[in-house]
Amino acid sequence: MSTRTTINRFATIGGLCTAVALTAAGCGAGGPTSSGSAASTVNVLVEAGGHAELTGVAEQCKKDAGIDVNFVELPYDGMFNRLSSEFSSGNVSFDVAALDSVWLPSFKDAVQPIDELFTDEAKKDIFPALVKEANVDGHFIGMPAWTNAEIILYRKDLFEDPQNKADFKAKYGYDLAAPTTWKQYQEVSEFFTKDGMYGTDVKGGVETEWLAHVLQAGSPMVLDGNDVVIDNAAHKEALDFYTSLASSAPPGAAQVDWAAAQNLFNQGKTAMTRFWAHAYRQIPKDAPVAGKVGTAPMIGGSAGIAGVPGPWYLTVPKATKNTENAKKFIKCAYDHNDLGIQSSLGLASRISAFEKYQDQPGYESFGPLIETLNGKATGTRPATEKWQQIVDTVLVPLLQKAVAGGDSAALLADAKKQIQDLLK
Amino acid sequence: MSIADSRLGGTPATETTLLPASGASRKGHGSQTAAGGGKRRRPRHHAEGLEAGKRSTRTLLWILLAIAMVLYGFPFLYLLFTSFKTPIDTIAVPPTILPKDWTLENYTNALGRSGVLASFINSTQTAIISTALSLVLAVPAAYGITRYKTPSGRVFIMAALVTRMVPPVAIGIPLASMMATAGLADTPIALSIAHTTISLPLSIWLMSSFFEAVPQDLEEAATVDGCSRLGALWRVVIPVVSGGIAVTAIFAFLASWNEFLFALLMTAIRSQTTPVVIANFQTQFGLDWGSMTALAAVYSIPVILLTLLLQRKIVAGMTLGAVKG
Repeated sequence: MSTRTTINRFATIGGLCTAVALTAAGCGAGGPTSSGSAASTVNVLVEAGGHAELTGVAEQCKKDAGIDVNFVELPYDGMFNRLSSEFSSGNVSFDVAALDSVWLPSFKDAVQPIDELFTDEAKKDIFPALVKEANVDGHFIGMPAWTNAEIILYRKDLFEDPQNKADFKAKYGYDLAAPTTWKQYQEVSEFFTKDGMYGTDVKGGVETEWLAHVLQAGSPMVLDGNDVVIDNAAHKEALDFYTSLASSAPPGAAQVDWAAAQNLFNQGKTAMTRFWAHAYRQIPKDAPVAGKVGTAPMIGGSAGIAGVPGPWYLTVPKATKNTENAKKFIKCAYDHNDLGIQSSLGLASRISAFEKYQDQPGYESFGPLIETLNGKATGTRPATEKWQQIVDTVLVPLLQKAVAGGDSAALLADAKKQIQDLLK
Repeated sequence: MSIADSRLGGTPATETTLLPASGASRKGHGSQTAAGGGKRRRPRHHAEGLEAGKRSTRTLLWILLAIAMVLYGFPFLYLLFTSFKTPIDTIAVPPTILPKDWTLENYTNALGRSGVLASFINSTQTAIISTALSLVLAVPAAYGITRYKTPSGRVFIMAALVTRMVPPVAIGIPLASMMATAGLADTPIALSIAHTTISLPLSIWLMSSFFEAVPQDLEEAATVDGCSRLGALWRVVIPVVSGGIAVTAIFAFLASWNEFLFALLMTAIRSQTTPVVIANFQTQFGLDWGSMTALAAVYSIPVILLTLLLQRKIVAGMTLGAVKG
């Protein structure tokens, strides 16, 4: 009988819990609505890191246009799946989606043109590479919300050390300073590789940095129109330079990705790193290198300084019923683009926004970032839907083999065949 | 230990009953043997060998248990320690296990983040509804299959197993579309239904094994006493398998509580659950280890408490399945 009493008790409690949960389940605890159908509400799908960038804009948009903004925040790794799912179903839970630039070609048919927002004034205030990338098939489909690019972060304290300066000059015949060319980068890296420290890192787990060197060597990256050019001289030259740094970098380069490289620099294990500009403002206050870091534009090759921009674009899905408010929000985001700079990430997309802050203390990364993004050879990734697949299945494995000592010419020739097969 | 001590060391009286009177290996036990005189005896060397064997087996088992505990427990302990580390400590090269400076800042940051409390409520709602749905459907299904043993029942239970083999991502996107069409987009109930598709097959299989272990004589006896079949199920069988139901409930609850993919595809503003919020600490700009581990540690607490609360039922349920026949 006691067992039955226990069961009855469990059943009663379970029933009550279920009843309460079912009642509450009608709306959920997160908010009142999931679609932006309300007259003054806009739902914005954003990667978790980008949420902070747009929070200030949302508050301003409420004041200016009376629009309430709900953020649908998702992790980066899951966002592509979610976008694919909703776009393919034709039933979207958001009115604005912040898209990584590499996704634009994949979703170009699911988002609306926003040509009217790209005024002449706007086009002048946005970095040229971004204006070009936002235009797909003759229409502007995304407004850049924030952008990034790799610059050089270096240990100012080590570079300014008199003994280091003297030793470097004696060995290489010129003054120790932030490198501007490939050769200088190699030599400075070599110089600081001593006493358990390394001159730089080599990232075998990510492809963007090598592609920036390809641009610096004067070639479009991987594709030139419809032609696969990954086996040309510039790609080989860039790959050889990239792998030559392995002797001045921590071991295990094949597995080093952005997070590992950032950790190594912040822990004081490397004297220099080529890294996304936002990392400068994210150095922990208790890090051994805090307050000791200098910034410089990305190095240049025969074609000059070049970087691969990392912008995110605000887009309006064709399936939303709230287009007008969605465009109002994008206009707000453009008008108050500098508010993103005050966020924890501290990025923007307008040249004027970066320029407004570049001379202020704490924003020393902005000058080099502007110079890199304005570099003549700076270019965006190829506009192909297969890009992510090319990166995951061809470029990263290629780099991992190359940094482990593989033959660069053979690897590039093999990569060309693989990419051609993927694009068929 | 007390049981082991009493068996190995024993009291003189107990020892005397077991030990032989003579032999080269009887050092130190002579007087006890003599005192034992005419009682039933067992060869000394046999008892010693047996006892020694038990000890080595026990030691081996303890070692294996310790290894298993370290393997399973270390990741959680590392997560727990990381949640008390400062930002630079979380990314130390080489990594350290214990924090250099202990801080609660990660917990403040994680719990102060907007949407965290709502996500906890959503996770709880979703898990409760999903568990209830699983049990309501699995108990009668499993009972019917085990008691009637029809060919269609056998096909059904195999089909249930096959559904476990379908990758969730393959059904996640169609499910999301269906829920949107049904007007249930971004609600805990939609997510609960999706989670039930994961837990229901396992629940049916678990409950089937528990029902199999209950002798049919019990129900027949209840029927003789005037119960209907449903009455016998409710009054006799269900109380006997209550431990099994607790085990099934906790597995169904855990399946929903920890599920990520469906939550990612089917929730937005209203019904986002905590696993998605935890994943949001990994961004394109880096990974906030401290806050992520802090929230993960807090999210583990209800499950740990639930397991402790239902520990007896779980053990009873597992034993029920084990003594079949």
